[in-house]
Amino acid sequence: MKFKIKTYFWSGVIMGLFSVFMLLAMPSQVRLPMFDSGAPSPRIIPGICLVGILICSVILLIQSLVFKKEKIVEFDWAKEKPCIVLILLLCVYVALTIYIGFIPAVCIIFPILLWYCGERKPFIYIFTVAAGIGIFFLFKFVFHISLPGIPGLGG
Amino acid sequence: MGDLQYIIPALGQVFSVMNLALIFGGLVLGMIVGCIPGLSVTLGIILLLPLTYTFPTPDSAIIALLAVYVGGMYGGSISAITLNTPGTNSAIATTFDGYPLAKMGKVKKALDTSLFASTFGGLFSALLLLVCASFITKLVSKFASVEYFSMAILGISLIAGVSGDSLAKGILSGLLGILMAAIGTDAVTGVWRYTFGIDALRYGIDMLPAMIALIALTQVVQKLRDFVITGGKMDDANKIDNVGLTGKEMVSILPACTRSSVIASILGAMPGVGGGVAQFMCYNEVRRTSKHPEQFGKGSLEGIAAAESSNNAVVGSAMIPLLTLGIPGDGVTALLLGAFILHGIQPGPTMFTKQGVIAYSIILGCLVANIFLYPIGLALTRAVAKIVQVRYTYLAPVIIIFCFAGAFAATGNTKEMVLTAAILIFSYVLTLLDITNTPLMLGMILADIMEMNFVTSMMSYDKDYLIFFKRPISCIILILTVVLVISMLRINKKVEALNQAQMEEMEREHAEEAGK
Repeated sequence: MKFKIKTYFWSGVIMGLFSVFMLLAMPSQVRLPMFDSGAPSPRIIPGICLVGILICSVILLIQSLVFKKEKIVEFDWAKEKPCIVLILLLCVYVALTIYIGFIPAVCIIFPILLWYCGERKPFIYIFTVAAGIGIFFLFKFVFHISLPGIPGLGG
Repeated sequence: MGDLQYIIPALGQVFSVMNLALIFGGLVLGMIVGCIPGLSVTLGIILLLPLTYTFPTPDSAIIALLAVYVGGMYGGSISAITLNTPGTNSAIATTFDGYPLAKMGKVKKALDTSLFASTFGGLFSALLLLVCASFITKLVSKFASVEYFSMAILGISLIAGVSGDSLAKGILSGLLGILMAAIGTDAVTGVWRYTFGIDALRYGIDMLPAMIALIALTQVVQKLRDFVITGGKMDDANKIDNVGLTGKEMVSILPACTRSSVIASILGAMPGVGGGVAQFMCYNEVRRTSKHPEQFGKGSLEGIAAAESSNNAVVGSAMIPLLTLGIPGDGVTALLLGAFILHGIQPGPTMFTKQGVIAYSIILGCLVANIFLYPIGLALTRAVAKIVQVRYTYLAPVIIIFCFAGAFAATGNTKEMVLTAAILIFSYVLTLLDITNTPLMLGMILADIMEMNFVTSMMSYDKDYLIFFKRPISCIILILTVVLVISMLRINKKVEALNQAQMEEMEREHAEEAGK
């Protein structure tokens, strides 16, 4: 599956819609303080940014639709699939780290990741798991930072 | 010499065993990440950043990160010479002459030339930093919050310099960065901004996990993708021989090194111009003035010297606007600014008065790192070059594990890991839309400085929004910002055309050589 992304056009559309949504959400998401402390409104900086994003989006749309200036990125599923799978695996890794701990998550996800990358040499698997365990103890005993341990067993 | 009161204790700090060991470690790490194509100096800095929290003093942390920067700039040339693949963007011009020389079997000579030129350029700019920093600081010592806000605007305008081919996308990315930094509790009013009821967003998005996701993880995932697509196929590297650079050859490349270092130092001190741009300008200039321009592109020692002294000269000179004005010149210095802030150091004029010893420790640390680069490079280049041939599947999982552990270390909360994963997805979407994330990072880093000084100015001048134009220095900075943006856009176009022509010419010459 291949398709072309008109990056100016789609950046304009996506970011334009995003800025409009955020501007509409501002009254509920950035409430004004109850009393005046003399400080400027907390809405000023986000407001300037969102208006700026909206203006840039309109410029991109005008460049794409009126001046026909465009940069096309080809989305090739065969090439992008590994990227998406790897990002998903990393998201699962984060979820597992939270629920079952750092070391078990490393032991589950990284062998899957290596298998997906086409790696079949056993030593690389052993090396990766050992490195994960090593990093856990490096942080714990050298940097005094306890990475998430196995629930119930502690770090 | 009032600065001597800072320089003498700073010398003691830099030459402590701890700091010397950190410089050594930083240089080696920099050489490793620099020489592996697809990894970069920024990744090295990000990997080391969480660990620097445990360092005894903030200056030790910054010195170690600077050593990574220095080592990485040289490291990029190792794969450029042995593989014809630049390890970093700043080493592209090194391939023009480095690889042809390596093909002739003179790999050691090419590497030695690169090392000598890198050390020369680095030392030149570090000395320039030492001389200029205090002088510029005194010039800008009268700055107040109004001027600092304008300086932050100037810093953010540098987006124009790093926005690639679309200014609108660059500004959009930078504004997204400022917006991301605004999420969470407002420090002045205590109001929550855009948390959408999500607890993880209540305390904002920490800079470290964001930098890890935007730079390090994005790079690693892209490199792993390439690994999967190519089936892990690797290029053959040229073997390193034993015939190095002679004394006579060293003398012969000195003019090229000097010329290149001078030009690169001037360019590097200009915000928005990095080593990537400087190398082509220096290469062209040295070729133009060389007695043997016909040898360029065919393994000229002067060509390697021009490219390599330029990218290392940028390191010290790019620190001039960062240390004296608090504005970063490129992606790497933006990251260093983030590191300064994370360690409680506020770069700028006040740094030289309030934290003078730290300021000079950093400058002298940069100088010492450049001095150490030569012996360390001579001793370890052969070993580091072998790492290029290590399968990426050994490195990638370790880097990823380190990145997530580092993100967690930012606050010791698993929410940082969740945010890292979320920003990684966001970064991927931006890649599909061809929106570069360097301005986003710059926006995130400068947002706090900008908002803090904006609020202070408003409270001091009774919400007079025109105060930024009423105070003369602030007004000059804002006018300068507009001028700089316009001129930077023009320079970018010219440099782009120059680079394109240069690359095409080199490719044509290489093709002709191959045809013979």
